[in-house]
Amino acid sequence: MEDTASYPTIEPSNFDLIVVGTGLPESILAAAASAAGKSVLHIDSNPYYGSHFASLNLQEFTTFLQSQSQSPNNTPAEIQPDSSSEFETVPLATRPMYSSVEIISNSPEVLDNSRKFSLELVGPKVLFCADEMMNLIVKTDIHQYMGAFQSIDGSYVFDGSNGCLRNVPDSRSAIFKDKSLSLAEKNQLMRFFKLVQGHFQSDGGEESKRISEKDLESPFVEFLSQKIGLSEKLKSIILYAIAMADYDQENKEVCKVVLKTKEGIDRLILYHSSIGRFPDAPGAMIYPIYGQGVLLESFCRRAAVKGCTYVLRMPVVGLLVHKDDTSYKGVKLASGQELFGHQLILAPSFILSPGLAHSSPGMQGVKVKVTRGICITKNPLKPEVANCLVFYPPQSLCPDQLTSVRVLQLSSNVKSSPSGMFVIYLSAVCDDVLQGKKILNVAINTLFSHPASADNKDSLVDHQNENTEVKQKPTLLWCATYIQELTTDVSDGFNSTTMPDADVQYNNLLDATRKLFQEMYPGEEFFPQSVSPEEEAVDDGEPELESKSSETLESIDNGASGIEYTS
Amino acid sequence: MASSGYNNLNAKLVLLGDMGAGKSSLVLRFVKGQFLEFQESTIGAAFFSQTVSVNNSTVKFEIWDTAGQERYHSLAPMYYRGAAAAIIVYDITSTDSFARAKKWVQELQKQGNPNMVMALAGNKADLEDRRKVTPEEARTYAEENGLFFMETSAKTAANVNDIFYEIAKKLPRAQPAQPPAGMVLVDRQAEGTRASSCCT
Repeated sequence: MEDTASYPTIEPSNFDLIVVGTGLPESILAAAASAAGKSVLHIDSNPYYGSHFASLNLQEFTTFLQSQSQSPNNTPAEIQPDSSSEFETVPLATRPMYSSVEIISNSPEVLDNSRKFSLELVGPKVLFCADEMMNLIVKTDIHQYMGAFQSIDGSYVFDGSNGCLRNVPDSRSAIFKDKSLSLAEKNQLMRFFKLVQGHFQSDGGEESKRISEKDLESPFVEFLSQKIGLSEKLKSIILYAIAMADYDQENKEVCKVVLKTKEGIDRLILYHSSIGRFPDAPGAMIYPIYGQGVLLESFCRRAAVKGCTYVLRMPVVGLLVHKDDTSYKGVKLASGQELFGHQLILAPSFILSPGLAHSSPGMQGVKVKVTRGICITKNPLKPEVANCLVFYPPQSLCPDQLTSVRVLQLSSNVKSSPSGMFVIYLSAVCDDVLQGKKILNVAINTLFSHPASADNKDSLVDHQNENTEVKQKPTLLWCATYIQELTTDVSDGFNSTTMPDADVQYNNLLDATRKLFQEMYPGEEFFPQSVSPEEEAVDDGEPELESKSSETLESIDNGASGIEYTS
Repeated sequence: MASSGYNNLNAKLVLLGDMGAGKSSLVLRFVKGQFLEFQESTIGAAFFSQTVSVNNSTVKFEIWDTAGQERYHSLAPMYYRGAAAAIIVYDITSTDSFARAKKWVQELQKQGNPNMVMALAGNKADLEDRRKVTPEEARTYAEENGLFFMETSAKTAANVNDIFYEIAKKLPRAQPAQPPAGMVLVDRQAEGTRASSCCT
């Protein structure tokens, strides 16, 4: 119901906070500021919510990816200086966040079903049942908007020695059941998990069960081999499939981030408390049906309920700068309207037009990149497994693989794809485009076969890793690969949120977002406990995940009716 | 019979319509029996539930209000998703709001759930002397577009319960769709409060 080409006039024109872009961090901030009683305007130039975090259909996805990979648009240079105003307008531009975009389409069937896909640029991302994001979802009650979740059914690690995917023994029962572990290995792991649990439970209490401060500060890899004495195989599983280290921890020369024991233990504890949290979720991780976009839409709805004003399809062309003190005081919209905000937050892709920046602009803060891929197939990576994570530890794919490749397979039961198709997300940290592309191509060629016509890209495959499994590989129907910038400390004098990071979970993103909120509003609580009389009674009990009945994975294909029958 | 198993159903119902048409007032009247002469723009209210008995079954409506996101046409897909019913509200004293209601109907039809029960509510029916939209005009439009039509007044409560009751009756139940599988987070009172920190 667009009134074409006519932008609405926004009322009022003064706000406590103006947020530009509707990515997850921006949406959380809009909700947090609204909850703190601030008047907030939240705008986005796109017709959909989510910016870089959106869940989009295939067509929208490719359009967005391509639009965000072009060099800066310096369109709005036309702004008239208005001498009567105490403000001048500084044009705003966007910088490309994605590069080396390659899209391979082997099947018209995928394109024909474009609208049935829900794809995201941030993948692979999941929720841990006990992580900070989940705690926030529960605390803010936005789960009532989010709808249903599916569990991630399994977690596998690639064994480079035989080319197989093996189970990640992530809980005591998983250790018991794991046939590939020797008795000695099982005992080792059990002892280790018990030690971690003892450390966790004695937090602040019994000193004897705590891991010493010295050990906590030491590299996790050394702790695992020297103090725990784990075998190479188990160490690799713990480091890359449970603690989810990015870099090769064994190779000091290339390891840019050494995982400390403390961090490793924290991630193990998160894993373990996640497995216990909701009885109906068998594993540690869950995924929202219809994708991560639902999460930010829910924060936006929460913000709206608290009074935040929402305007989609509204480009911002410039920032208003006070002539005297060069501080940012508002935004100029594509409609020409000027809006004022005491505070401004912009999505990370915005920069001041080159040459106009007060401080050094651009990509100077960028040191690492993330290489990402999305693949569509008709067959799962493991038979009978709907949703799962797969880890490729450093060097498991090829000798020059310096970072861990993480893979998330989603079935149509999370509505990411039409029935019978699977969406597979891949990501890895990389230093440069060449390295990133190579590692991703090797991973993709290891996971999938290309349709009948031979593909030259196969030359990249390390043939040593190919074995008899080859025949069973799923066929690649569609694939997009790209390199994403990871901005860190870029500052043009206004507040920017962070880009999606390389993690599979949101802890770091949420930390950064909370920090930004506290810098803007020192003393304000980040989401005070909601006491809203209009809402359904809020009790202080822990909510539970409850399974909705479903016989088979495929039976949920017609959730469109929205009617739920109970007896 | 109450034992058929399909006699109790939960249904998501969404409200649509121009700002000021009285969406929130309609829900407040229905859910709480209240009416405020100067209802503020929707703030703080976004989620209500109310159960209606029809014949020998019950329908629990989960009612979604727009929370103001309709103002600049910025409702998220999440809002429409899984809705079994919708009430499109306009103000009988405003031809503009009727025109906007028609656009909301188009928008809903684009969402493509053919089983959705849609009701058109001509609200503020108590303001007869300021009427700009005739019931005939609205009824004709509704019939042509597969909606059912009622004029309501949140102020006098006229037809308010009726419109929800009518929707409850029209919800398809002969052929239960498969429930969307997955897990939902539910708030539990008292029973089974489980420590969140337990390790396995």
